[in-house]
Amino acid sequence: MNKIMYLEFERCIGCRACQAACRECGDHDAKERNYVEYVDFTESRQTFPMLCMQCKDPACARVCPANAIQITEEGVVLSAMEEKCIGCRNCTFGCPFGIPKFDFETNKMYKCDMCYDRTRHDIAPMCASVCPSDAIRFIDFDEMQQLRRKRTQMNLVEGKKPQEGNKWDYVPEFFGVYTDSQS
Amino acid sequence: MSQFLVKEGVKNQIRKGEKLVTTHCCYCGMQCGMHIRVDEKTNKVMGVEPRYDWVLTKGKMCPKGVTAYQTIDHPDRIKRPLIKKNGKFVESSWEEALDLIERKYKEIQGTYGKDALAVYGGVSMTNEKCYLVGKYARVGLGTRYIDYNGRYCMSSAAGGFNKTLGIDRGSSLPWTELEHSDCFFMAGSNTAECHPTSIQWFWKAKDKGAKLIVADPRETATARVADVHLDLLPGTDSALANGIMHLLIKHDYVDHEYVQERCNNFEELKEMTAKFTPEYTSKITGVAAEKIIKAAHIFGKSPRSVVMFARGAEQQTAGVDNVSLYTSMALLRGQIGKFASGVATFTGQGNGQGGREHGQKADLLPGYRKLTDPKAVEYISGVWGIQPEEMPQPGVSAYEMFHLMEAKTIRGLHVICSNPVVSSPNINYVQEQLENLDFLVVNDFFLSETAELADVVLPATTWAEDEGTTTNTEGRIIHIRKVVDPIGESKPDWEIMSLIAERLGKGQHFQYNEPREIFDELRLASKGGKADYYGVTYEKIDEQDGVFWPAPSLDHPGTPSMFKERFATEDGKANLAVCDYRGPAEVQSKQYPLWLTTGRVVFHYLSGNQTRRVDFLKEQCPEPFVEMHPELASQYQIENGERVKLSTPRGDMIAPVKITKAIRKDTMFVPYHWGKKLAVNQLTSPALDPISRMPEFKVCAVKLEKLTK
Repeated sequence: MNKIMYLEFERCIGCRACQAACRECGDHDAKERNYVEYVDFTESRQTFPMLCMQCKDPACARVCPANAIQITEEGVVLSAMEEKCIGCRNCTFGCPFGIPKFDFETNKMYKCDMCYDRTRHDIAPMCASVCPSDAIRFIDFDEMQQLRRKRTQMNLVEGKKPQEGNKWDYVPEFFGVYTDSQS
Repeated sequence: MSQFLVKEGVKNQIRKGEKLVTTHCCYCGMQCGMHIRVDEKTNKVMGVEPRYDWVLTKGKMCPKGVTAYQTIDHPDRIKRPLIKKNGKFVESSWEEALDLIERKYKEIQGTYGKDALAVYGGVSMTNEKCYLVGKYARVGLGTRYIDYNGRYCMSSAAGGFNKTLGIDRGSSLPWTELEHSDCFFMAGSNTAECHPTSIQWFWKAKDKGAKLIVADPRETATARVADVHLDLLPGTDSALANGIMHLLIKHDYVDHEYVQERCNNFEELKEMTAKFTPEYTSKITGVAAEKIIKAAHIFGKSPRSVVMFARGAEQQTAGVDNVSLYTSMALLRGQIGKFASGVATFTGQGNGQGGREHGQKADLLPGYRKLTDPKAVEYISGVWGIQPEEMPQPGVSAYEMFHLMEAKTIRGLHVICSNPVVSSPNINYVQEQLENLDFLVVNDFFLSETAELADVVLPATTWAEDEGTTTNTEGRIIHIRKVVDPIGESKPDWEIMSLIAERLGKGQHFQYNEPREIFDELRLASKGGKADYYGVTYEKIDEQDGVFWPAPSLDHPGTPSMFKERFATEDGKANLAVCDYRGPAEVQSKQYPLWLTTGRVVFHYLSGNQTRRVDFLKEQCPEPFVEMHPELASQYQIENGERVKLSTPRGDMIAPVKITKAIRKDTMFVPYHWGKKLAVNQLTSPALDPISRMPEFKVCAVKLEKLTK
């Protein structure tokens, strides 16, 4: 699997289609494993999606005393194995992103597995498939790199500082890509 | 034949023992492509799979779309006809229900005349069904009183487009071109919540540097990222559009050659807009003059722009004016009829476009033919096999039908695919009129608030249990496939209408075995009309990713882009709108000092009869709320989450408060998807636009009260 989950928070429109879609994945037991949250609803409607980062050396797995969290050969960090999970919730405390969920009724952890039964066949996970704003994408490594470069390039093309209300307001001043013109 | 349509190289997940059926969503006008998962053995609906290769939506769906399949085999489905006996619904056979309907219909029409029965249609169903509702009313029942819920949805857009462009097609361009536009001017559209999958096109354009101007009393997700957010007072769109045009003329952004060649009324428009200086416009709209100026410059400088609007601008007593004026902005810039530019409305209902073209409207016959045109009456009578003299006269608009019920002119009503006791304005009045009817029949698949009032409820099928076509927000006709057989004893609406017509001795006009036969008749009925479907076939739809009407002949590929050469008016020229600002029907008073506006949330659709029953959607948004600015909240000592009372002379409601700075300080917003005590439509104003007869849902003066503990 050479694909990347690519998040662009500022594209999120808060529709939560990703959460609805997460429930639709075969192994997901009709429970979503991703998050969409308001930055601060009192201030604005900006929301952002959060998913498992599928860390290379995941804290959740490292702190699991039962070795219940397996990592696939492709690097996908799976939910705790049912027969091994002891329900200690260490993973939920260990994860710096607040991703693993805990089912208090069955006393076990569950989390995003990147729709493993889809992604291992190179089919996009449900959240990235449906996301209407492309805030969540499942793309090739090359495309990801191109997107990173594009952010700077856009400002070079425009040759000016992003205007008020411009959501692509991300390039720090010291990049030196701006002219003084504000027109 | 496989019902699974997929393009080469596109991968989908097909699970063992399952098949995919290719279709579209049942909800809004985006009509997102989707595949529905069906168990091959049990033939049960299992879930949804993205349709990555659908040209407009690319597999993307909103949470309603993702969960749409859950309404098909839902435990709340009505599976047998229900007859109200002693105030309680009792399941019955079709035979018994039809017997009762036949007897009551004949009784009412025999005593009070044909027009004492009325039909209230809807457009969340296929073209085939929408077309047949018109024929059912006029041929089956022989009544003049038919109208539909699109009156609350699209009629002002229709009125405005007809007036300016001579034809009512929701979009002058295919939306796949939107990514190439340089500027979007969006008025009264919360598109991120109401048409979420359209966002991909706007964001794509924005990635390339397109500008976004949004006019909305709320800072919606699109307004938040706009280059200019014109935070106008509800009901002041016509002043805003005039103000922008004033500046377009002042700064010479007008495409004079285009206006000279293709538009009427430029001098009159210039005269009318003269007084709409930024200061004057600002005074009316409450938008800072600098923002209006900035917006006009951005819009004026953009080589390719699209002006778009939705219910915010349309559901007003000046709805037609607003649409005409916004359309005129695009005309002044010479944009309509060119690549990646033009004008469009966001269609709210799944088949809001197709459903308004083929004769559900009080004064229209199929193909946008006019009931007042003797030639049209003659032609359609021929198609329907009746005498022109038998064709009923035009009726009245949806809300006006309730007045006729009050006056006892209408004594029986058949509601098909609608829930007017939630979706109408001033619903306490509407409910009273429905309760006072002699006989009410409702077709639905869930027991809606309107169905609860019925004497007979007939179990209809969901969209997935029948084949047909719908026409999406672009004007693209698409193919809805049958996924499973009807659940229980439910029947598709076209079959129900045919059965009743049969009972009334009109069976010979309703001999259909399948929807395709109705579509063929619709093609013929629309032939030569403005919305010409004659050249559209199910096969052609599948072959070329939908067909844009008009398609007047079988070898015609359809018309993705409108108005390239001429407009559909008599002289081929567009009519620039010359309209003054009139203001909403209600004004603030000491007693009702604030503004109330209504709208949707992303989790619910229309009256919520479907989406309120879906777990995920219900969890995300279980009840209505009152959105207000913290400054307003503090004046009333109201805290976030506190329940408050809102009232207008028509009704009141209690709902919790959501505090956010993303709304004007003088305006509150409440979503309208709930009925009874939770319905904001108890409060909304039934004042009608004089042309489109669309109610002013979007503006009323309201009182806010803190509840005593």
